[in-house]
Amino acid sequence: MTNPQRHLWIAAAAWAVLSIVGSLLVAGIQIIPVIASREAEIENSAFVLLTVLSVPVLMFVVVGLAYSAIRFRANGDETDGPPVHGNRAFQSIWLGISFALVIGLFGYGAVGLVDIRGAQSADFEVQVRSEQWAWHFEYPTAGVVSKELHIPVGERVHLVINSDDVIHSFWVPAFGVKQDAVPGRPTQIYLTATVAGTYPGLCAELCGFGHTDMHMTVVVSDRAALETWLSEQPTPSANPSGSPS
Amino acid sequence: MRVMKPGLLRAVIGAAIGIGVGVGSLTLATGAGLIIEGGQFLGLAYLLALIGFLFGIGAFRFWVTWAAGREVDAAEEHAAHGTAGDWRRYFRFTTDHKVIGVQYLVTAFLLFMTAGTFAMLMRYELAQPGLALGKEAYNEIMSTHGAMMITVALISIIGGLGNFLVPIMIGARDMAFPKTNALSYWLLPLPILLVAINPLLGGFDSGWTAYPPLSQQANLGQQAYLMAFVTVGISSILSAINFLVTVFRMRAPGMSLMRMPIFVWALTVTATLMLVATSVVAGAFTMLTFDRVLGTSFFRPSRGGDVILFEHLFWFYSHPAVYIMGLPGLGAILEVVPAFARKPLFAYPLAVLSFISIGVLSFMVWAHHMFVSGMAEFFHIPIMLTTELISVPTGIVFLAALGTIWMGRLHFKTPMLWVFGFIWAFLIGGITGVYLADVPTDITLSDTYFVVAHFHYTIVGGTIFGLFAGTYYWYPKITGRMYSERLGKLHFWWFTLAFNATFLPMFWLGIEGMRRRVADYPSQFGGLNLFISVAAFNIFLSVAVFAFNMVWSWRRGERAVANPWRAHTLEWQVSSPPPIQNFDQIPTVSAGPYEFGGSAGAPAEGRAAP
Repeated sequence: MTNPQRHLWIAAAAWAVLSIVGSLLVAGIQIIPVIASREAEIENSAFVLLTVLSVPVLMFVVVGLAYSAIRFRANGDETDGPPVHGNRAFQSIWLGISFALVIGLFGYGAVGLVDIRGAQSADFEVQVRSEQWAWHFEYPTAGVVSKELHIPVGERVHLVINSDDVIHSFWVPAFGVKQDAVPGRPTQIYLTATVAGTYPGLCAELCGFGHTDMHMTVVVSDRAALETWLSEQPTPSANPSGSPS
Repeated sequence: MRVMKPGLLRAVIGAAIGIGVGVGSLTLATGAGLIIEGGQFLGLAYLLALIGFLFGIGAFRFWVTWAAGREVDAAEEHAAHGTAGDWRRYFRFTTDHKVIGVQYLVTAFLLFMTAGTFAMLMRYELAQPGLALGKEAYNEIMSTHGAMMITVALISIIGGLGNFLVPIMIGARDMAFPKTNALSYWLLPLPILLVAINPLLGGFDSGWTAYPPLSQQANLGQQAYLMAFVTVGISSILSAINFLVTVFRMRAPGMSLMRMPIFVWALTVTATLMLVATSVVAGAFTMLTFDRVLGTSFFRPSRGGDVILFEHLFWFYSHPAVYIMGLPGLGAILEVVPAFARKPLFAYPLAVLSFISIGVLSFMVWAHHMFVSGMAEFFHIPIMLTTELISVPTGIVFLAALGTIWMGRLHFKTPMLWVFGFIWAFLIGGITGVYLADVPTDITLSDTYFVVAHFHYTIVGGTIFGLFAGTYYWYPKITGRMYSERLGKLHFWWFTLAFNATFLPMFWLGIEGMRRRVADYPSQFGGLNLFISVAAFNIFLSVAVFAFNMVWSWRRGERAVANPWRAHTLEWQVSSPPPIQNFDQIPTVSAGPYEFGGSAGAPAEGRAAP
């Protein structure tokens, strides 16, 4: 039979080629479909890194399986294989690489998390209120309540999220932010939108049969346009003469 | 006459009496002016029905006879075992672990088909944008599918294959507590029936996770699910104790811990997790039931309760539960590999250590289900670390499988095909799990179809592929007949291709922003969803091939010899099917379970009496 070293070298070469080609193919692609915030950018780079790293792991197992399925078939040979119970060096390398990968990923993830959370300060605050099955946005400085979320581009925004009934989850895919709205316990997130435009937002936590349709619209504009929009909104409790529509 | 003897008929009558007494007494109380709600009716009726059912089936007969001071009839005791081959034993309170194993397997399979039917309804709704069954119906179907499949994954391998095989594999005549074992099984039919009929009680729409306050608003079907799950939990705890005592007290001479088959090791860790974790979810679900029925407010924010507390308690069980589902499958896979690669299991001691490490770590990772829940901010960091750490012991399973396959003499019989399918599916599940362990990527992925794809790759990949591998592998032992190799291979290829065609595109849907648990979606996802639905229907059809193969081969299959796979573990050293007492003489074990490539390939392990 062929010598065991040769099997290893052939498989290792196939693995190396497939890993390099695969990693190059996925490096640098945009995975999150629409990116309109600083947070989504951080998440996309984490996404790409994890994908690049998974290629060699995937290929290792796939090459191992495919090579074995082709070369190690018994084909009517009823004898047993070599009585190998383990290989200390191979097991140690395997464990060493596993631990190194995990520690590296953890460090990268922790840095990314701190980066996403960022400084706990903001230029603009919105109170988000959710109920079955609608979103309400309150702008405390302007005293305005709206069904749309309007935020300024390039500024740090603080969202305080509440729920009146069951758990909902505030999610704007283009911003890469998601945060449950928990009854009896306000939650919060910070975000910085980077691209002006109109984006869809959704409820991401099952909240009853209206969950499917619990959408919102998010508008990102420059500060001046935002102020104009705010001044055009009726203020709820005051008399409606504040600004003629 | 038949009513006088314990059995299914008397059990049904017992349950009916329980329901009658429960509903009757509360109706009387209502007549007396008390205000009693549906939940309280259901609660009392179910509790009494369960007790009536168990008395009727004869679960407490031994203890009642003994407590009454009457002679416990030894012959009667033996009758519980019955004669081999008598089909009626499968419908009775039988204490033979082999009968109980088959009861579990068949029950789990019927439940699998029922839950699969619900999945087909889901894919029917999702095949096209727009609504077919309706949003409310979809949520209820989705919740029932989840609740049932979770139960299948929890009980099928440990309850089915585990019960049948563990005593034989360690050289024992039965489990340590045969009557408790039968009780564990007979606790299941009623809660399973209750979940199956929950649409009649208004259904429940909060998913198997049952987060309050949504689950506090939901219909009576919700309470049916909560009570059913607690009952399944009690059954799990009883059977966990039984497995642990059996493994630690009943091993044959020479069967040291490090000579135990890896499947037994996997189930030992599984049983430990079941014992420790299950009471937490049973407690949480009981508290939730009390919130609904007894007016408590553990999880009612309007009255000082806390809903995040529920999430913590729920996942403190439900993450270890993932390993309760997965470990038996991993054990079955590693049991199959050496026999069809004709090599010793690679790195056996490390594999044992990895199972134990998975067990320990599984208690420290639950909050990765809550990265966007609003739990304490600093807690994300340690949970991210422990979650990623658990990939090290899980990776060792791949090391053991690949190391055994490498340079082996591979025989691609049906069980071995499932091993290869398992490695692929579980690998995809593992790699995509890293994206969900990493907080930055999880924030965008959680509650999307990426998660749906991920957990189907791990649970179907780990548990169901393991279950199929194990069922084909041990089928000759359990039935005494060979399954049809041709149909087995057809089942494998059809199932595996359809499974991957169903769940691989879901990763893409999730990244593109399709939420889970919705009945409708933006029309841009229409094409892919239609493809997925067609693939999903194919999964269902392929399982029909399996069902036909199992039933047909049991009657018509070729007679199996004692050891068709030339394996070395003890269950293959007794006849197929095994004699009623397993061993005429308890064997003495003199070698490890996978001594392939030894002297002329003869089984080195203990020679049981013929």
